[in-house]
Amino acid sequence: MDRSFHVVLMYLLIHLGLIFFLYPNDIISSSDEGHWMPIMIGFLVHFVFLWIYMKGLSFFPKKNIIDIYSEIGKGISTFFLLPVFIYLLFVDIIGVRAYSEIITIIFLSNTPSWAIIVLLLFISAFLASKGAEVIFRTGIILALVFFPIIFFVLIASFQNIDWYYLFPLIDDDFHFITSPYYLKSFSAFIGGFLFLGFVTPYLAYNRKKVLTAAMLLIPFFLLAVYIPVLTFGRSTASTFLFPYVMTVDSTYINWLMFDRVTMFFILCLITFIMLQVSLVLWMAYQIMNHWIPHKPVYNVLALAIGIFITSVMIIDWKTVEKLLWLNSFLRFYVIFTVPLSIYFIGRRREGRG
Amino acid sequence: MRTIPVKIWIMICSVFLLNGCWDTKDINHRSLPIVMGVSMFGDQYKIHLQIPDPDPDTMQVKIVTEMGETVSKAVDKISANMESRIDLLHVKVIVIDKELAKKGVKDLISGFMRAREVSPKALIVVSDEEIEPFFTHLKKTTDPQGTTLFDFFDKDAGWNPQIALTRVWQVYRSIHSYTRDVAVPIIKSGDSTGVEHLGSAVIKNGKMVERIETDETLLVNAFYEESTYGKVEVMDEATVMIVNNTMKHNSEIIDQIPYLNSQLHLKVVLLETKGNPTEKEIRASLEKLLTNRFNEMFTKIQESEADILGVGQYFRTKIQREKLKNWRSKQYPNLKMDFQVHVVIQNEGQLKLVAD
Repeated sequence: MDRSFHVVLMYLLIHLGLIFFLYPNDIISSSDEGHWMPIMIGFLVHFVFLWIYMKGLSFFPKKNIIDIYSEIGKGISTFFLLPVFIYLLFVDIIGVRAYSEIITIIFLSNTPSWAIIVLLLFISAFLASKGAEVIFRTGIILALVFFPIIFFVLIASFQNIDWYYLFPLIDDDFHFITSPYYLKSFSAFIGGFLFLGFVTPYLAYNRKKVLTAAMLLIPFFLLAVYIPVLTFGRSTASTFLFPYVMTVDSTYINWLMFDRVTMFFILCLITFIMLQVSLVLWMAYQIMNHWIPHKPVYNVLALAIGIFITSVMIIDWKTVEKLLWLNSFLRFYVIFTVPLSIYFIGRRREGRG
Repeated sequence: MRTIPVKIWIMICSVFLLNGCWDTKDINHRSLPIVMGVSMFGDQYKIHLQIPDPDPDTMQVKIVTEMGETVSKAVDKISANMESRIDLLHVKVIVIDKELAKKGVKDLISGFMRAREVSPKALIVVSDEEIEPFFTHLKKTTDPQGTTLFDFFDKDAGWNPQIALTRVWQVYRSIHSYTRDVAVPIIKSGDSTGVEHLGSAVIKNGKMVERIETDETLLVNAFYEESTYGKVEVMDEATVMIVNNTMKHNSEIIDQIPYLNSQLHLKVVLLETKGNPTEKEIRASLEKLLTNRFNEMFTKIQESEADILGVGQYFRTKIQREKLKNWRSKQYPNLKMDFQVHVVIQNEGQLKLVAD
């Protein structure tokens, strides 16, 4: 059965969760002017690898990447899957830790972060242990409930913009490419689509629809960066840790319920993040299950406890930032090897058959 | 057998969810000040907080004061001495002492932005008199809810177009921006009314450098296309009410000198006349009045190198970012401003005017 709707929604949710927190700061810090250029270059990379990945997967209907690699041989499958597994664990550890810190920075300043981590991990682990179908159906509920709020906040945040801050439009020396901030910003571009290779046995989807959904994300990437820049100007926006959250904070809606509209917005996005954490947990569990088969509950529980212990051991925001930076090497490695290897394995099989 | 674990799961889940808040203090154990006054004595901040005190029968307004090296330190001291915790979440207006404004509010504003205790939407106001008597007077004249000062600046309540509205985040932006400064209203306690508006303070890089009059603030607001609706202008010949305003700008750089041509289009309605002026006379007189007033104000703020109109914004396409850093000190003082007012008399009321 065609479940493109589920897959496309999940794809959008995950990226929306990633776009609005760390991404604007990374892009604004990486470049002084013409921020659309780093955004579009990043998006192009995203789009190309997404296409290669899905093209490669289309050679193997109803098989996920674990099946594909194990077809080739045990050694090769470990060679490819081990980095992916470590990467996924890293994503979860950093994600859970970073977002718990974001929550304490933005509103729950008295709450110890372990309590938030427990909450984030517990719900995610519960979802992950129930399997892909449940995660995807939860995604639909979340999308229906929270998309309207996200759109409302997006429109409201246009309140204070000054279009003159758009200029200058061109940054002609391209120095942003070597900026560590720019490399970090790729977490929003390439962290999200690996799941497409894991769900194929459970949910069939149309490739074209996913590519269209990718195009739909362009405005969100641009808005997340440009709304803060247009409101505050680049020199002020670069002093914020979460420029977009600040912008939402400064919109004035004369209605008591929306006095702190930021809260609505952040809580919506945090649910998306929970969904992403559960999906990543589920993918890690799939790989683990391939090596050590167990019941999902035990595997996921073991992973969750491991993630909890590691993330509690990270004590400050500086370390989180350092880990984000270190993880970007692993991220680039995974994102180059996985789509390309799947594609070439598929092409070779096509040639033989 | 399958249903039991699911139920337990849900129960455990909800236990965790219900504990979502940590260290909560109930709303009746919190004090929510609406107005905060900040002044400085030596290197100590002195904080005044106006707190509505909900009593079962009547609302009372309480004013508490404390000194401290930083604002949060002072607030902490107040909190320690009170039966409830101070929560700055609902502070709507921050009144800053004039002396402190002249000294600079950079640290104060950055602190507000960093801690997020005070909403970045709170209004910033400069007090022309000392904070102490101002708050005492405010307590005497204020209504039981304690919202007088907030209502004074509320667009849906007491706000008038000649009052500048500047929020914490805008002041913060002006501290870091190359091309933008802010005007902040100056008030003092009034004789018959609660507050008296005296014009605006020009804040450049967080420091008060100049003052402009009430009428001049109207033009600043018009420049930002803040609606000047309802504002009445009095001239020798007539009194008109402004019902609509739009701006148009055209910027140019010739021989390193920036030129800006700004046109203010006003739609007015005639209210009263003196003698028998013609429509043309009224129009010419209003245009002259506003142009002169604007030029006077602009010379003043240009001399103080404060760009409260955000004129530099119009040159963003023409000046490189590197040079824009020195906008206030290098290019802005040389700027040649050409301000034109175009008035349309939309209608002249129930009575006919004399023919031209």
